[in-house]
Amino acid sequence: MRKLLPYLLLLPTFIVIVLFIYFPAYESFVNSFMRVSVFGNRKIFVGFRNYISLFQDPDYLSAFRFTVIYTLITVVVSIFLSFFLALLLDQKVPGSRIYRTLIFAPYAVSYAIAGALWGFLLNPVVGHVNYLSRILFGVQTNWLTSRPYAAYALIFASVWKTLPFNVIFYLAALQDIPSELVEASIIDGANAWYRTWKLIFPLVSPITFYLVIMSIISATFHSFAIIDVMNKGGPGGYTTNLIYKLYMDGFRFQRMGLAAAQNVILFAMMVIVTFIYFRYAQQRVHYQ
Amino acid sequence: MKKFLVLLLAFVAVLAMAKVKIQFWHAMGGWRIEVIQNMVNDFMKLNPDIEVEVQYVGSYEEILAKTVAAVKAGTPPHVVQLNEISTQKMIDSGVIVPVQDFIDKDPSFDVGLFLPQVLNYYRVGGKLYSMPWNTSTPLLYYNKTLFKEVGLDPNNPPTTFSELIEACRKLVKKDERGNIVRTGITWPLYSWFFEQYMALQNQPLVDNNNGRTGKATKVVFNNEAGLRFFELWDKLTKEGLMINTKRADWTAARQLFISQTVGMLISSTSDVALLMSESKKQGFELGTAFLPLPDGVQRGGVVIGGGSLWIIQQKNKAEVEAAWKLVKYLAEPGPQIVWHKATGYYPIRVDAIHALQVQGYYAENPHHLTALLQLLTSVQNYNTQGAIIGAFPEVRDAIESAAEKMISGALTPKQALSEAEKNANKAIKEYF
Repeated sequence: MRKLLPYLLLLPTFIVIVLFIYFPAYESFVNSFMRVSVFGNRKIFVGFRNYISLFQDPDYLSAFRFTVIYTLITVVVSIFLSFFLALLLDQKVPGSRIYRTLIFAPYAVSYAIAGALWGFLLNPVVGHVNYLSRILFGVQTNWLTSRPYAAYALIFASVWKTLPFNVIFYLAALQDIPSELVEASIIDGANAWYRTWKLIFPLVSPITFYLVIMSIISATFHSFAIIDVMNKGGPGGYTTNLIYKLYMDGFRFQRMGLAAAQNVILFAMMVIVTFIYFRYAQQRVHYQ
Repeated sequence: MKKFLVLLLAFVAVLAMAKVKIQFWHAMGGWRIEVIQNMVNDFMKLNPDIEVEVQYVGSYEEILAKTVAAVKAGTPPHVVQLNEISTQKMIDSGVIVPVQDFIDKDPSFDVGLFLPQVLNYYRVGGKLYSMPWNTSTPLLYYNKTLFKEVGLDPNNPPTTFSELIEACRKLVKKDERGNIVRTGITWPLYSWFFEQYMALQNQPLVDNNNGRTGKATKVVFNNEAGLRFFELWDKLTKEGLMINTKRADWTAARQLFISQTVGMLISSTSDVALLMSESKKQGFELGTAFLPLPDGVQRGGVVIGGGSLWIIQQKNKAEVEAAWKLVKYLAEPGPQIVWHKATGYYPIRVDAIHALQVQGYYAENPHHLTALLQLLTSVQNYNTQGAIIGAFPEVRDAIESAAEKMISGALTPKQALSEAEKNANKAIKEYF
């Protein structure tokens, strides 16, 4: 009985996971080796054809490339900017609570709304950004429909959206740093630059590591809404990343086999990221 | 025994009174949600034994994706409005009941009263699979007030590409720094206009007579005709005579025209009602005209676009019958006139058009007449019947992607056309 009880208690969770995660995952694994008709009523086994055609498809490879560039820039910029902002917000200056609230505000906004907001602001004709730049510099830019600005706009909006989450975590981590350590470093004569990078940054490294992983996931998966609302992966597939390509093939073109194969590839990528997280989180990162 | 009979009778009566419940999904947002709900309410008043649940499900793309999901889950809606390019996909699906089956059994329904231009599009292999419903074509809208201001004849809108370019150049207005604050034209970045320009030049989009005499095996738009439109688009963009929207952004294109940032707009006839009221609010005079043609090309015609109503197979036969009743009602002259007046989508029946004409409607609404005449004066052949392609969404994507690359300067019109052809052919080959 004592051995049975834990399993019994786990059962409800297990049922939910099987129904909503394992079973669909299994389905898409099977479908990735099939050619599936629009309504799923006809299926042909095609082996690895879906995978082969994906890796021969220049659009998929360019989506792959864009995902890497977009993720890399978004994560790096977002991490350093949020660390910097958190350092500033950690200062005991008057009104810091107001600044904090203002900086956290985008966190309360959903990805789709963030995309819509930036879509309005960057509208080439009636948007505020172009209005200001026309008055100040006399230039107009097609932010959403031309290269490379569509990518800049997207990265900017994504960083804006993910920043608050990172700032919250950094702020919490900074406040956890024992004041004796900081005081000791001041007494030892470390300047602000040295203190920031040799003391504070290593002390918050577990959080940095966690945030990097979360930001990678968010840039790879949650970016869908921002892309869909802002520029639909355009112009000409220029800002189409892997998750948007999957959506297009699966839900716009109803090519479920191909979409399932992309799903499996994304799954494999996530497995690698998660593996790295569990493998190195304990080793390389400095915990107090 | 008597008691039993009474009881049985009562039971049957209750059963008969029980309402048949059906679901109707559509993709018409905005003010049209209410228009459709009111039409369905009228239907339910006439058919008290049927209860219709109307749902606005999102864009044409979303409604197709959700229908697929609902069918897979075993809870399909009864009546679904899908866009014209889903036709082949739905015929191949094996989950629908062709409306021809009902028409053949129902003598009260005369399909001969429908406009042949509309029937020709939706009839595949002589069979009508879905009920044509919201039907539109593209139209050139122009701002007569701005035309006067820049010295263009407001009663003589451009009819050729060179006249169009000329008019655009005159409409351009720059501020003191040399920035363009007003320009010539816009249209939504949408493959539909490319397809229309193939038909306008009396050219097919795909082989086998636009897929009408056999399944389409490849696209045939990489030629002079396709290039003429792409070159116009490229030229207008490069010279700053046109503002491009993002993909399928109809709202942005309309806004540019309503705010008088551009003097002309190519958009769907389903915008007529909206643009009439908006132009009045903004204080400019609206003009409408046929789409301008490339110089020296003989006119073919426009292809209808829009959507049709599909009946999805159900386990309960009574529900299918109720679905047919609804579809039939929505295609009747009364509802068609209501729908036309509220939106600008064509009344698709001869008797409805006749009724409107007798009322003097077209004298008062010349823009609706322009729209109708453009359709009625179109040459009728395979080219203007419109293409039937299973992988039509992918073909559209290929064309739009190529156009985006062209206007962003990455490809020349010729290269863009070749790339569109290559990707479209690949999609057609892979269609399953």
